Amino acid sequence: MAYRISVDTGGTFTDVVVATDAGALHIGKALTSHERAFTGIEEGLARAGDGLGLTARELLADADVLTYGTTRATNAIVEEKTARTAFFTTAGFPDILLLREGGKPDPFAHIPFPRPYIPRQLTWEIKERMDSEGDVYRPLDEESVLAAIAAAGESGCEAIAVCLLWATVNPAHELRVGELITEELPEMPFTLAHRLNPVVREYRRASSTAIDASLKPLMQDYIEQLDDDLVAAGFGGHLLLATSYGGSWRPDAMVEKPIYSVGSGPSMAPVAAVTYAEADLQSSDVIVCDTGGTTFDVGLISGGEINFTAETWLGGRWIGHITGLRSVDVKSIGAGGGSIAWLDPGGLLRVGPKSAGADPGPACYGLGGNAPTVTDAAVVLGYLEPEHFLGGRLALDVEAARTALEQIAGPLDMSIEEAASAAFVVAAENIVAAIREITIAQGIDPREIAIVAGGGASGLTIDPIARELGCRHVLVPSTAGALSACGAMYSDIVSEFSSTHYTETRDFDADGVNGVLSALEEQADAWLEELSDLGPTATSTELLVEARYRSQVWELPIVLPHRRLEAGSGPRDLEEVFHDEHERVFAFREEGQYLECLVWKCRARAALSSPPLEGRASPEHGGESESSRAYFRGRGFVAVTRHDGATLRAGTEIAGPAIVREPTTTVVVLPGSTLRVTALGNYLLEVDTTVPTAMETS
Amino acid sequence: MAGFDPVLLSVLANRLESIVREMENTLLRTGRSGVLNMARDFSCAIITGDNRLIASAEGLPIHVIGMEYLAEAMTELHDDIAPGDAFLHNDPYMGNTHPADHVILVPVFIGGKHVFTAAAKAHHADCGNSQPTTYMPYARDVYEEGSLIFPAVRVHRDYEEVGDIIRMCRRRIRVPDQWYGDFLAQVGSARIGEARLAELTERYGVDTILEFIEEWFDYSERRMQHVLQQMPAGTIVAEGRHDPFGPAPDGIPVTIKVTVEPEEGMIELDLTDNIDNLPAGLNESRTCAMASVMIGLFNSIDPDIPHNDGTFRRIKIKLREGSIAGIPTFPHSCSVATTNVAERLVVTTQRAIADEWDGYGLAEGSCAIGPGFAVVSGNDRRRDGNPYVNQKFLGSQGGPAGAELDGWLTFGNSVTNGLMFRDSVEIDEQKYPVRITELRIREDSEGAGRRRGAPGTRVTYGPKWDTMTAAYCTDNHFFPPKGTRGGGDGASSIPFKLLPDGSEEPLEPIAQVDLAPGELLGQLLSGGGGYGDPLEREPELVRDDVLAQFVSEERARDVYGVVFAQDRPAGELVVDEQATSARRKELRAQGGGA
Repeated sequence: MAYRISVDTGGTFTDVVVATDAGALHIGKALTSHERAFTGIEEGLARAGDGLGLTARELLADADVLTYGTTRATNAIVEEKTARTAFFTTAGFPDILLLREGGKPDPFAHIPFPRPYIPRQLTWEIKERMDSEGDVYRPLDEESVLAAIAAAGESGCEAIAVCLLWATVNPAHELRVGELITEELPEMPFTLAHRLNPVVREYRRASSTAIDASLKPLMQDYIEQLDDDLVAAGFGGHLLLATSYGGSWRPDAMVEKPIYSVGSGPSMAPVAAVTYAEADLQSSDVIVCDTGGTTFDVGLISGGEINFTAETWLGGRWIGHITGLRSVDVKSIGAGGGSIAWLDPGGLLRVGPKSAGADPGPACYGLGGNAPTVTDAAVVLGYLEPEHFLGGRLALDVEAARTALEQIAGPLDMSIEEAASAAFVVAAENIVAAIREITIAQGIDPREIAIVAGGGASGLTIDPIARELGCRHVLVPSTAGALSACGAMYSDIVSEFSSTHYTETRDFDADGVNGVLSALEEQADAWLEELSDLGPTATSTELLVEARYRSQVWELPIVLPHRRLEAGSGPRDLEEVFHDEHERVFAFREEGQYLECLVWKCRARAALSSPPLEGRASPEHGGESESSRAYFRGRGFVAVTRHDGATLRAGTEIAGPAIVREPTTTVVVLPGSTLRVTALGNYLLEVDTTVPTAMETS
Repeated sequence: MAGFDPVLLSVLANRLESIVREMENTLLRTGRSGVLNMARDFSCAIITGDNRLIASAEGLPIHVIGMEYLAEAMTELHDDIAPGDAFLHNDPYMGNTHPADHVILVPVFIGGKHVFTAAAKAHHADCGNSQPTTYMPYARDVYEEGSLIFPAVRVHRDYEEVGDIIRMCRRRIRVPDQWYGDFLAQVGSARIGEARLAELTERYGVDTILEFIEEWFDYSERRMQHVLQQMPAGTIVAEGRHDPFGPAPDGIPVTIKVTVEPEEGMIELDLTDNIDNLPAGLNESRTCAMASVMIGLFNSIDPDIPHNDGTFRRIKIKLREGSIAGIPTFPHSCSVATTNVAERLVVTTQRAIADEWDGYGLAEGSCAIGPGFAVVSGNDRRRDGNPYVNQKFLGSQGGPAGAELDGWLTFGNSVTNGLMFRDSVEIDEQKYPVRITELRIREDSEGAGRRRGAPGTRVTYGPKWDTMTAAYCTDNHFFPPKGTRGGGDGASSIPFKLLPDGSEEPLEPIAQVDLAPGELLGQLLSGGGGYGDPLEREPELVRDDVLAQFVSEERARDVYGVVFAQDRPAGELVVDEQATSARRKELRAQGGGA
């Protein structure tokens, strides 16, 4: 028996999924061990092994691939615990990381101006300058480089980020700085911007570089230790690390570019979603929702392709730090079970952005919180059962929830249940607005696609959210509680190679472009060749260009219509593909306009054998349910049936109002909606979208 | 809130803001000119069918307040408005800000009723002025200014372009393709707004929506009333002054009388005591005069209140006809109405409120569009000598301090409040034949204070191969941003030319200059004013400012009274607490720091 294992280490929980050859998935959850990842993994493995009668070590000994995703890098950045890092930049521009690209989320809000990723006192100016055409305008003054290296060393820097203007067009100076660092401080880890992220726009490139360099010492140690621990425990298979790109890498590649580890956990949820949606819904257009304790993550899949973005910010758009790299587009909305409901001075009911978090948490946790939260509302409405929460590990205090909600019910002149349901609708609305903006910005109409909802809390609110978005189908996987780890099970090994070569389609440099494409393909082929020991089931490469209409500023990635672009027809065909894509995303095309082509890319992919999707085993006893009551807006308390998910056979249909309980999630089915158990044992909600939830008043 | 469901109120208000953001995203991602898609110099809004501003999300404050007057012009001029229409409007005498701001207005019909108007306003790279700039400070009248003017002119009928208007624009605007690209982006944005508003109204029913509109205005009014009821009664007459230039050799004084009447829950902003219109482009349009003092007010109070017609009911604004800061008389030019004098109105209002009402208001922020924000033009030899013209957003000048927070660093200027993006050095060099040679924080330029203003920057740039023309309108050179409540003033703004031999030559604050290859245009941009006594600033924050090279050690010692230990490892700095308290005592005895 060869097992495939995937692990997602989050801030609180480590999720482990073990797949058998037959495709059965066994999930184990454990608390994350921050000092040493393996402790949590081993415990999760042990729990997953319970169902197979195997110990963690037995599982590891028989596993051929272990894919690992972690929030380690993200957390280190957010907690400012990365390496002390120096920033080397072109003389005259020491404040690139401070000034960013401008922008403020609100004209009047009181927000402190954010600090730069690397402070000014660890920034050194290198005397040199390239021009936009790649000519040397000011030759490299090596003395300034040596002085910077010495000063960085004396200041206790543990890594160096190098980002010089226009090194993307002519990297000579940046390469020389790299050589000098190696000569002077051979042990010093460093990142050269043009190698990591050859994008035009100095802030983005500098930010990528700074983040990457600052993670190098830490992630190298972390990955090496994990590797050692796995080997010591008897693991003889391949360790792969999940990337923010929705694929995975070998450990040495991740040590080289650790920034790709940032957001790698959440980027796997869409991989699971696309797998389930294609199998259960025969749909390849999906909104992916994954709820955490304090955030609601949203991703998009269209035409079976996961949506990517170059705009991933840690700590808030415009005011945090941009990763600057294309990665799976997962937008986090600050809304969760801990979001607090409150009344503003005009008497309007608001929910969030303040959150009770996990500590003190919602009032019903009984841990000292007394503000009314969305979770408290779910308890009062009868959606969450006090004795079944977290598998019965935390008994919920209903009275505390009621007392907290009284704070808003009184002034609103509502009953506690009415107020709870009002808070529920407003909380859902915050998410609806955010999802609408995300989908529409991509030219996707949410009414035409389905939702896949993962995460422990999403089943509580997804029905009203779908209703208001006009989405008629919602798939809640039975493995919703470990969606990202499940995604890693189906992920490929993916890497991208890129090169900047500016040309315009009206005066197209076909020879230059084709030369670049050949070189990129060679790199990609060599990389694929190195993966042959993993026995990939299929490999492929795809060529892309980042292009835009004349004098536009934001590029669109376009898959090339041919592998080489011949003078004449090549650029014309490329324009045609671009017009279509521009029209799809932005709703208009500009016939006759030429394109500016900036960055050429080759995306290489190696698929590994992933476990087959297994149908739901038929339980011996089917369909037990208990009668209970729950409160719904516009109806008050009504009878509901409560079902234990494990007892439901494939094909079972349950009409709302009903509540289905799984070990890691709870699904609330509103009146008018129907829930069906799919062949794979997932839950498909069919939502009645005709009446807005907010209009259902008593 | 009798009758209307509070949940529905919250949901629908949220949805309108969300629609505006969808419109903004569309415009941002499809715009063509740098002004639009790099600098985000645009705004969207939703106006009710009876011409009241209801939603504007995070639009530029100077753009959105007063959008209702644009819709009003549309409904007054046309009695045949129909679905499928779109109107182009840029007339400052009929409710617009200034002629370079082109607005697309799309009426939204539900069941034959005009329920909303979706508006998308964008500052264009060129508007056909007599000079290659969208700001004409020296224009004696609208004829010398020369902009093409469209008083709410129909550009779409039945969702089809009215070709005549497009051809007129293409003929007279210097960068016709760029203009047309931006125009398409704006129409696309307003059409997205139209579609979403129609869907929303159909889903919830037109009666519910109409009822919601009134409820939302009432709610917003209550919020504003509540704010004003908390403020002590009082009146202050505040004066500010724009730098001298051509027709105003002593500068342009502005006077604002602010009266708070907490019992009525009202505030009055009186601008009637201001000088007459000047034969120059710096006159305020009515919309800009009104919007500017409102921005000053909104900067001064709880930022959470909505900014719409309901809020405006609690604000009385008095304007005088024929005044530079009031209602202009034709044919005076309002070419520069959105910045310079407008900004003086903003900063004078907020500083007056800070001076008079403890805990409210802000110090003065940096103003105007000096060389760091110049409109540059010339020919690009890399592109067959094609002409280019565009506004740069390279510099960064300091935002004002408030009672709680230091100033915002990438503030832009006092009518945009940090919302606008900054240019990328590389993108500027790729798109235009220019080279940027320096951009860094300008040390010791911040207005000192318990909360300090943000520092300005130093920027220099120039043409690579052929002559470049730059037009700009600096302020804060003679009258830098003022501090409040004991806070210091920001450093003056200084425009200059850097010659090939490395020497600096001063430039006129408001000018159009030609730069030969090898010559550089430069500016030391001003910092924002400080709030409160700098000797009360936490020494650790002063230390951070010294490490960031915002503040020199000398200034830390002499203005903030903070002294550092002399013995220090590389990259470290430790406050000498004893020496600091002694130094602060000494400075207090001398009468304070700033």
